[in-house]
This record gives sequence, C-alpha cells and structure tokens, in this order.
Amino acid sequence: MNQSWQGTLEKIDDYRWKIPLSYKPGMRVPGLIFANEKLLPGIFSDKAIEQVANVAFLPGIVKYSLAMPDIHWGYGFSIGGVAATDPKNGGVISPGGVGYDINCGVRLMRSELTLEDIKPNLSALIASLFNNIPCGVGSSGDIKVSDKEEQEIFVKGARWAVKKGYGIDEDLEYTEDNGSMEGADPSYVSERAYERGRNQSGTLGSGNHFLEVQVVDTIYDEFVANIFGIFKGQITVMIHSGSRGLGYQICDDYVKSMVHCLKKYNISVPDKQLACAPIDSQEGKAYFSAMKCAANYAWANRQCLMYLTRRVFEKVFKKSWDSLGLRLVYDVAHNIAKKETHKVNGEEKVLYVHRKGATRAFSPGHPELPERYRKIGQPVIIPGDMGRASYLLVGTEQAMEETFGSTCHGAGRNLSRAAAIDKCRGRNISKELLDKSGIIVMAKGKSTLAEEAPEAYKDVDIVVDVVHNAGISKKIARMTPLGVIKG
Amino acid sequence: MKPYEIIEHTADVGLKVYSPSLKELFENAARGMFEIIAGKYYGEKIDIQKSIHIKKEVDAFEELLVDWLSELLYIFNKEKILFRDFNVLELNYNGLSGIASGRSIDFRYANLRTEIKAVTFHNLKIEENEKGFSCGIIFDV
Repeated sequence: MNQSWQGTLEKIDDYRWKIPLSYKPGMRVPGLIFANEKLLPGIFSDKAIEQVANVAFLPGIVKYSLAMPDIHWGYGFSIGGVAATDPKNGGVISPGGVGYDINCGVRLMRSELTLEDIKPNLSALIASLFNNIPCGVGSSGDIKVSDKEEQEIFVKGARWAVKKGYGIDEDLEYTEDNGSMEGADPSYVSERAYERGRNQSGTLGSGNHFLEVQVVDTIYDEFVANIFGIFKGQITVMIHSGSRGLGYQICDDYVKSMVHCLKKYNISVPDKQLACAPIDSQEGKAYFSAMKCAANYAWANRQCLMYLTRRVFEKVFKKSWDSLGLRLVYDVAHNIAKKETHKVNGEEKVLYVHRKGATRAFSPGHPELPERYRKIGQPVIIPGDMGRASYLLVGTEQAMEETFGSTCHGAGRNLSRAAAIDKCRGRNISKELLDKSGIIVMAKGKSTLAEEAPEAYKDVDIVVDVVHNAGISKKIARMTPLGVIKG
Repeated sequence: MKPYEIIEHTADVGLKVYSPSLKELFENAARGMFEIIAGKYYGEKIDIQKSIHIKKEVDAFEELLVDWLSELLYIFNKEKILFRDFNVLELNYNGLSGIASGRSIDFRYANLRTEIKAVTFHNLKIEENEKGFSCGIIFDV
C-alpha cells in the first residue's frame, strides 16, 4: 500500500514547502509543510501530503493547512497536522483532526540526581517502574475510581488527582491548561466511553506510549535551560500517555455522528474520516465538550503516572521525592483542539486550533504561561525513539505568527509496524539496546519492541533541526534514554 | 481468493478484505481484525465457549461495516471475549444480524499483539467486481 505522492511542492525556503491552491479544486487554503531535503523523500513516499491537501477543504480553515516535519500518513488528517478554523466564517470542528487518543501528550520531570547518582540503582529502578506502573494492552490500574469520581475527573482533570493527594498544586501550574480544560460536560460522554475509561486511570497503555528515565546530554541555551531547571548530566523522566479507552470511544462516537453532519450541513470533504460539524452547531459543541472530558482525563492520568513514578523513586533511593527534586518541568498535549486567540493579518481572532500530532509552542509573554516561564516561552517536549534522543524546546514568536503557536510532536514513524517487525525478525532489540547503548528496555507486549525499534522512526535530530531552523521553536536541551518501560 | 491481507500503513494497520459475497466480506473483515489483535495463529489456541448475537441498523454498507467491527471491538474490550468464528446471518439495507463466537480471556496473560483503538472511515469503500467484493479498512492502533 506504499503509494507515493505525485504532485509538485513549491519551495519557499530550505524548511518550507507549499502545496498550491491549484493542486486540487476544493482546497480553501494552500498547504504548508515544514521539512528539509532529507525528510522530503520519506514524506513523498506515502499519502501524507494528499492528506494535508484534503484538510484544506475544511470550511472556515484559516491561512494554511499546516504540516510539521514529523508528518506521516494518518487517516483523515495526517499525523503532524495543524489546522485552525474560524467560527465566524463557518469554521468546523473535526474529531479526526484531534485523533482517537485525545490529549495524548508528554510530561517531563526533572530531578536533582545525576548520572553518577543513578548508575548503581538503574536496573533496580527500571524493574521497579515496570512492576509498579500498569502498562500493556487493555491494562487497568491500581488507582480505582468510583463512577462519581470518574465524572469529577472529566470535569477537573489533573486537579482531581492533586486533590486526591497524587501531586501538588505546583504540578498543575506547570501543565498545559493547568491540567484541566473548562467547559467539559460529562453528559456528552457516552455510556460506552465511560466503560472504556473505567479503571484505566494511572495506566500507561501500549504501543508508542512509554515512561523513560533519561540523562540530559546537551544544553543548547544555558539561560533558558536554567529557568526550566535543566542542567547537563541531570536525570529526567519522560511520560508519554493519553486518554486511553475513553478518548478512543469519544472520537469513535463523534466521527460516526459527524459523518451524518456532512450531509446535514452540506459539507464536502474528500475523506469521510474528515467528518466535521460547524463549531457553533449542536453536534460541534457536543464533541468539543466531550473532547474536553477526555483531555482532562488524560491530564489526570499523566498526573497519576507521575505520582506512581515518584513513589518508585522514593522506594529505590530511600528519600522523599521532594528531596530528590522530582518536579514537573511541563506537560504538553499533542492531540487536541483548542479555542485560542491568534493574530491573522494583523487582526485578533478567536480560532479553533486542531493539533493532531503537533505541540503547542506559545511564545514568550503569552498570558497562559506560568509566571516562571512567561518571559522565555513555553517548554515544548519532543519524545524521540527509545534508542536515540528526546528534546526540550521553547516556543517562539515566529510560531505565533506562522503556525498558530504550534510545532512538531516527535520523531514520526518511518516504517509501518509490520515493516518494523520484519526488519527486526530474529533480533533481540532489548539486548541490542543494552549492548550498544547501555539502555535498559522492558516491555509487556511481545512485538512492542520490534514495532517500536529505533529504526522504525525518523531521526528526531533532523526533525527538531527543521523546527529550530525554521524558527517555530528553539532547541534548549537534549536527553538520551537510560531505561525505558513500554506497554 | 485470499479472505484478507494485513496491509501496511505507516502509523496504523489496515486490512484488504476480499470475498464472493457481502456477508463473507463482513465475516472476513472480523477475522482479519482479530488476527491483528491476537496474532496469526490465535484461532488454533482457543476453543469456543461463548457466542454473542449482534444486531445493527444503518443505511450505508460502509458505515455498517465500521459499526459491526466497532461492536466486536467493544465487546472484546468490555467482556474480554476473544472471537474466532463469525457468522453473518442477515445483511441488507435494513441492517445486520450476526453471531460472533470465541472464549473469555485474561488480558494479563493473553499475550495480545496490538491494541486497536478504533476502526476508521479513512478511504473506506466497498467495491464490487465480477469476482465479488473487496474493501480496505484502516484501524487506529
């Protein structure tokens, strides 16, 4: 099914490529892809560019259908896509523009530990994390919640977790939207979605979700890194997870209902997976409200995962998490739709920004940033693959002007899961990682390691260089993995 | 004619399903989906203990196919039944009635391969030619 894209991209500069309006009748805006010459052949090899053009059909889309350098073929929207729609101009909201794993995202914890401190305990630490953090297909957790509490999680998100003692107020300050979107209404969540979300709080999930113990190996900007509390040789922990079964079911429910909206509101899109409804319609409002429930659930989930992580560190190092300095640098969502104010041609507009596999990257001075980061910009957390590196970046003014304050979200897949399994046949990936790089990897699923092998991903260094050089975020620090647990 | 093949899609997994009849197309799609979930030879390891009757109403076959597969996925996740056999009894513009059979499993020990989050509508089209029916389905995993 490897079909390559046959159209022509117009080169704007070394990092920007345009899909002209003339490519396909029905496009309302051009497409804009952030990439360099190295990444383009991979992007051309499947239908991701076609999907960027298809998103440009959405009613009310503003300026561009955007794609980040980690773009790859999704369904409906490509992964790595950003689209902003204007409710005053017939703008729509599309569940496919958020994705199934609503508020899939990443949080980065820092510590006062260094590589030297952790070395003697590393294998015990990773084993203990693996044993204490529920993960794997359909895993359910130790953090049990009642039905009434479930509703509270939908409405309050990470605030619920902190109230329960699974964190402190400071954690909320350093979470996008303070870990809770306003306006979440549980009455828009189906019984099925409730069921799928039940018992999954504080669980990592499977596939590309992970918890990683890392060491900071490079600092690109001492000043900003210092404000983020990051230094070379420091131990950090990265958690990548989302809204689990709840988000999948909400997306599923609303894609189905919005397939009918296409006819009802006379909307023409080239792919049913782009099903959408006007933002101000009853269906649009219902989806946005349900989506917020899943987003809040995901923030509560990552907060619970951080709590479990802190407990494991306390047990292994026999010190309180506070004295180990296990604090939150930031938590970002990378599958979400947000109501935000942006300047379009000099005019302030309220827009609905869809980020599907893209990260918010607000500039210095933005009022939504915590006090401590307000002068330097929002931390952007970019997970790479389990063999190479991850990055901490910062948002820029350029991102506000050009990408509705958005940047990339990860390395992006290079190989399909089947191709990765084929390539890794007969190999012992965890042994390879251990022998070659000293990285301890533990996974529940039999094929997870092959599917998630480093070569299944694009080189995150190249992806991050593109957003850095294009100016839509700036490199602050690079972290390399020491130990990884996966579902 | 192969009943189905698992196809590559960079971030997701898909099926290409073939069959002489529309009913079998639905049955084969379900078999393919559970092979993605549980691995190639999962059917050999399970005996049938439970059967579930599924009824769905919808006005287009593509949507009905997504509904049928989503329903099986939902029951699999909720009731923890790994399905092996599928029998579509009735399928027409009024809807679908079918039976899925399998056995209860414990997710912790079942060694499942892939968590399918959802069945998508992406490029979904049931096509008919002289040999029968075919359809591509993309799952979000």
